[in-house]
Amino acid sequence: MAGTTAARGLGAHAMSRRRAASAWRHVDISLVLSVLTCASLGLIMIYSSTRTRLAEAGTDPAFYLKRQAVFVVVGLAVMAAMALVDYRIFQNRVPFIYAGMVVALLAVLTPLGVNRKGQQASFELAGFQLQPSEFAKVGLIVVLAAYGSLHGSDLDWGRVAAAVGLAAVPVALIYLQPDLGTSLVFLVILLGVLLVAGAKGRHLLALLALGVVAVIAVVQLDVLQDYQLDRLTSFLDPQNDTQRAAYNLNQSKTAIGSGGVLGKGLFAGTQTNLSYVPEQHTDFIFTAVGEQLGLVGSGLLLAVYGLMAWRTWRAAALARDLFGSLICVGVLSMFVFQVFENVGMTMGIMPITGIPLPFLSYGGSSTLAAFAAVGLVLNVHMRRFA
Amino acid sequence: MNTNPHLRLAVIAVVVVGLFSAMFARLWYLQVLDSNSFVAAASANEIRFVHTDAPRGEIRDRHGRPLVVNKRVEAVTVDLAVLADRPDRDAVLGRLATLLDIGRPDLDKRLADVRHSRFRPVPVAEGVPEHKVSYLAEHRTEFPGVQSAIIARRSYPNGAIASHVLGYVLEISAEKLQDRKADGYRLGDGIGQSGVELVHESDLRGVAGVTKLQVDAQGRVLRTLDHQAPTPGHDVYLTIDLEVQRLAEESLLQGLVVARGLRDNEAGKAFVAPAGAVVVLDPADGSVLAMASYPTYDPNEFVDGLLPERYRELIDDAKGAALTNRAVQSGYAPGSTFKLVTAAAAAERGMIEPRTTITDRGSFTIPNCRGEQCVKRNAGGAAYGPVNLSRAITVSSDVYFYDLGARFWLEKGVGDGMQDTAKAFGLGSKTGIGLPSERSGLIPDPELKKRRHAENPAAFPEGTWQTGDSVNMAIGQGDVLVTPLQLASAYATFGNGGSVYRPRVAARVADRDGRTVRDERVTKVRTVEVAPAVDDAIRDGLVGVVGDRDGTARSAFAGFSAFSVAGKTGTAQVAAKQDSAIFAAFAPANAPRYAVAVVMEEAGFGGSVAAPVARRILEGIAGQPPAPVTASEGVD
Repeated sequence: MAGTTAARGLGAHAMSRRRAASAWRHVDISLVLSVLTCASLGLIMIYSSTRTRLAEAGTDPAFYLKRQAVFVVVGLAVMAAMALVDYRIFQNRVPFIYAGMVVALLAVLTPLGVNRKGQQASFELAGFQLQPSEFAKVGLIVVLAAYGSLHGSDLDWGRVAAAVGLAAVPVALIYLQPDLGTSLVFLVILLGVLLVAGAKGRHLLALLALGVVAVIAVVQLDVLQDYQLDRLTSFLDPQNDTQRAAYNLNQSKTAIGSGGVLGKGLFAGTQTNLSYVPEQHTDFIFTAVGEQLGLVGSGLLLAVYGLMAWRTWRAAALARDLFGSLICVGVLSMFVFQVFENVGMTMGIMPITGIPLPFLSYGGSSTLAAFAAVGLVLNVHMRRFA
Repeated sequence: MNTNPHLRLAVIAVVVVGLFSAMFARLWYLQVLDSNSFVAAASANEIRFVHTDAPRGEIRDRHGRPLVVNKRVEAVTVDLAVLADRPDRDAVLGRLATLLDIGRPDLDKRLADVRHSRFRPVPVAEGVPEHKVSYLAEHRTEFPGVQSAIIARRSYPNGAIASHVLGYVLEISAEKLQDRKADGYRLGDGIGQSGVELVHESDLRGVAGVTKLQVDAQGRVLRTLDHQAPTPGHDVYLTIDLEVQRLAEESLLQGLVVARGLRDNEAGKAFVAPAGAVVVLDPADGSVLAMASYPTYDPNEFVDGLLPERYRELIDDAKGAALTNRAVQSGYAPGSTFKLVTAAAAAERGMIEPRTTITDRGSFTIPNCRGEQCVKRNAGGAAYGPVNLSRAITVSSDVYFYDLGARFWLEKGVGDGMQDTAKAFGLGSKTGIGLPSERSGLIPDPELKKRRHAENPAAFPEGTWQTGDSVNMAIGQGDVLVTPLQLASAYATFGNGGSVYRPRVAARVADRDGRTVRDERVTKVRTVEVAPAVDDAIRDGLVGVVGDRDGTARSAFAGFSAFSVAGKTGTAQVAAKQDSAIFAAFAPANAPRYAVAVVMEEAGFGGSVAAPVARRILEGIAGQPPAPVTASEGVD
């Protein structure tokens, strides 16, 4: 079982080379292929949903396409890099990872970060925006996995509270940006890792209760801006057209629904072309898939995400130690929540929050972070025997 | 919970499978089950139709003189739909009021005026100076929803002249829109409500232009998919002659005013003379040269819509019902003008020879009559002595016609002769003129009397036709009702030798360049046979009415030399009202070009007030400077 296989009888140096070489033989090709499929579809969809608007503005219609292509190429490199060295070397360096993460999240709130659309969430670097919160997701996964593997057998109220505390710091910092959606992703990662690490049922129930209370408090105490509240609640009453958010949701559902079974065809989406749907190339990219490729295309996309989830889950089950297993669980929780929240909001079954669809949505940081996360899963999976 | 990580991973797997199932289910619902409604919503999204009103056709008189035109005015409009959701609504309106110099309360009042369509920008100012229009254009962002535009407004350059014939236009009502949607009507469209505007709605309306635009989420126009320019409505040329119309209306009003200065000896007070109507026809083809009805109204008043209380006032009988076109929508007892029919009917059936005389001793006793009203007398108690047909008409001998009326009922083989001839002349049925809500009038007969009694014994206690009924009918009393148009048409028919034409007010429909699109046909409905000897006798009698020294309209036409006029006076008794004054005529007597009917409610004798009105009209037509209407002597 995971974590019990020992290395057998070779010289240290040769052994490490041999092990590295053999590990690459166990790379999960289907996971890599599913990621590549998503990223390629993402490029096409980003192009289809931005070209008209860009051409109208008199700029290069492939502007977003080219940039995203760069992100994907860099992302593949990051993925490979994350799989390169044995994941176990992260276990001892967790304090540095955590510290770096918190410092970055603090720094972005200072004038070092830039404010875009009312969010203080990124650094500006040579024309690219770097969003520390996206990378912090991966960081938190590693940190929580390390903590969970250390205390998995003796998780009590105190240790659960400590784990919550570990997650609470970045969550609070991200909430200050403010970015409600990403904060929620952190909480889901926490829940997933604690569940598999061995938290008792009552711990998890208490956490859930705490979460519910927190959400109610946030809504009731007027902490949210009106627009945030509108966005969150519009899915409950989509006919109320006076709300801008409800309008967005109706347009989003209209785009997907009008796609029908076979879709309107690539580049033939009227909703997409006329930019009826907001944030078309980022948060609402799924509407472009739904409208142009129909049930067949969007269903297949969900199936590919399903495959990705299954391979990640399988890596968690096969991992040689609890640390690796928990890393995979964290990544799984993150992806599944992001996919469900993102796709769900475009279809009106989840509140509207700004969470990107992994590998599909335009965005450097989210794309790189997603590749990094998959790199970790590949790392755990290919070293399951080592 | 078990500490086995595999069991815990299984929990995760269940949750993940659940979430994916939910997404697939929702996707199925949106893209398969409910897809059609989204397809419709998507296409409504991207295509917008912008309609351009077609200029409504104009209405002109027979010589092309404008009766209804479209005036183009520079107006500042406010689109309330745009302003409704804006927090700065008040500020915008404040700025606008200042710019237009009209004061905020005034502006609000104009915006709240219920006559304006809620679906179109409301005009708040017209004739705005150029520099203010440019200021608006340059500061568009400060005035959201405010626009300056050239708007076309219906305009009636002659005011109230011919208003009953022309009709008016109002915004289409919600109910009517339901019926007419298939014809392309939209909310806020105007639609003809009466007169030619209503009857020729489809000619005048034109076809609105449609521009099909593809728009994005912000409503920005991406491209024009299709553009159809509006097709202007056709112009309608009427048979009305503006000058004759004006003359008829002036003369009628003058006559009514004169009547109000006369004393009604029976009632012991002045005549009320509240209303009246005049029709001038061309006997050669039934064309209406003038059609006047009083009281009248100015359709310019309705251009921006009609307030409900004003509308109620205009249809209120107690206030004169100015919207009623009395020339076609009111029935009057014709009085002695009906004697033309009685005479023709009796002569045609061989009941009289034109030269046969009877002795008029001033009274007539109804045969087989029992009761109080068996003896009937001439108006004013006069006795005319021996009278033949011509003389009976000229002096308006009631006794002569009472005798004929009685014989129509008592003699065998003549049936309902009077009724048949009256109907042949077009009395008692709709003429079919192209005007709305025409009344048919009434020519009563034994059958009708019986039916009315059977249906409503309380209102009609007598169900059997009596000799007295025929006697009354012979002089145009009893239940006989004719419209002024029918009366004019009957005299035109006799005057032209017996041809009944369907009267018409529209001559032709033409496009913007004046090219004829359609001619309104002249329709000869039937011919009434009148033997030449009979025709001569009656015609002589009618000429005598005006020219003979005993003629009932002699005084009214004294000194008139333009034409030889053949006419007949009438003074009709109306229950609970003062007498109606009536005059019907055609001229010249032997080859008539004009037939005139004048009916004035509660105005006294036909010879004293109605005939002078006709005289003035004929004088004007003949090109003579018309003298003001004055009261004449007259007993009938």
